[in-house]
Amino acid sequence: MNTPLDHEPEDLRYAEYVLGVLDADARAAVEREMAADPHAADEVMRWQRYLLPLAEDITDSAPPDRVWSRIQGRIGQTQSLPRTTDIRERRGWWSNLFVWRSFAFGATAVAAACIIALVLFPRARVAQPAAPAIAYMASAITQTDGQVGWTATMDITHARMIVVPAKPQTLPTGRAPELWLIPAGQKPIAVGMIDSGAPTNIKLDKALLTRIGPDAALAVSVEPPSGSPTGQPTGPVIGKGSITGT
Amino acid sequence: MIARMTPESSDRALALARELQAVADGDRSAFATLYKRTSSKLFGVCMQMLGDRGEAEDALQEVYVSVWRSADTFDATRAAAMTWLITLARNQCIDRLRRHREVPLEDATATRLVDPDPEPPALTETSEERRRLERCLGVLADQQKDAVRAAFFSGATYNQLADHVGVPLATMKSWIRRSLIRLRACLERSETNP
Repeated sequence: MNTPLDHEPEDLRYAEYVLGVLDADARAAVEREMAADPHAADEVMRWQRYLLPLAEDITDSAPPDRVWSRIQGRIGQTQSLPRTTDIRERRGWWSNLFVWRSFAFGATAVAAACIIALVLFPRARVAQPAAPAIAYMASAITQTDGQVGWTATMDITHARMIVVPAKPQTLPTGRAPELWLIPAGQKPIAVGMIDSGAPTNIKLDKALLTRIGPDAALAVSVEPPSGSPTGQPTGPVIGKGSITGT
Repeated sequence: MIARMTPESSDRALALARELQAVADGDRSAFATLYKRTSSKLFGVCMQMLGDRGEAEDALQEVYVSVWRSADTFDATRAAAMTWLITLARNQCIDRLRRHREVPLEDATATRLVDPDPEPPALTETSEERRRLERCLGVLADQQKDAVRAAFFSGATYNQLADHVGVPLATMKSWIRRSLIRLRACLERSETNP
């Protein structure tokens, strides 16, 4: 049967995106298209206008007060980002999952996502101190199966790193991934345990900071949950990535 | 493009748009007001899609942090404030669903798919846009209308929906795509001739 479907399924991807039926890769593709092509963005907005009234059917549900407290905590510290604060305490755009998710699903577009972050959050950009020549470095940690397991972005100015899971492989129970920095021709230096289900923030001490660069690499090994007992990788290395400046 | 609305909903939409613009300028009290007015709706959306209170709270937190940081990307001439906010919430929830549950449809999600729908509200209580959409959904066969609603309220992928309903993937895609084509034709017509 010859139906409209035969002619224009491609055209429906914006509707499918808004409806929410696309898988992660297809969603990411539409999002890239929206960023590059105003027509795509218009089509998505049109479908939002069409379909989002369905959300009126959803019953309101008051969130507990702690959510607002947490939000205030997050935005309260956005205004100034004191250099001395520990990264776990600091909640700037750096910790914004919206930004980092683009790493998780578009793992190679590291530089692009940095730019998106700066475009999306100009207020945060103003708050950043003057940056050195290479402010950020990035690495896509590719696993033995060819998939990117994590992406790591190093903010040299603020001595911090965020490691975002993309498609990390499942580890046996009682094993956890540990991140290592491998300077060219040297032994691995432990960076820290990383999460497979959520971004991990890591503060970079001087020993790490001075060795991060295009000659070094990152690697992930399988270790006990508390980390390698020896200070060197004890389990198999499941992923590796070179480091590039952005 | 703020579409035709009842005077009441239009007032509310304009107030929200003004608040969002103030938030873009860094106005914290406007942000608090915006949160008070909208968080119950957005939390409802997150609960509906994620089905887990803790995760819905985390998602809501991310949504409002993002609102604070990117309110300046909201353009009142192109979208209604509530549409913009609900879109942020839905995207946050769908991304979470994809990250954690890409492969099998978990029991929790499956349970919600069995009864995914809130009842359509009494049409007298809804916006003109909602009533228009309901009229256009009315032209679809029940099965197709149910598939569209299940997709919207669950955030499930084509694959997950097909598995759940027990039809081939191609059948589910065909139901939903045909529905979208018919909805587009109907909604386009009624936008030009309300």
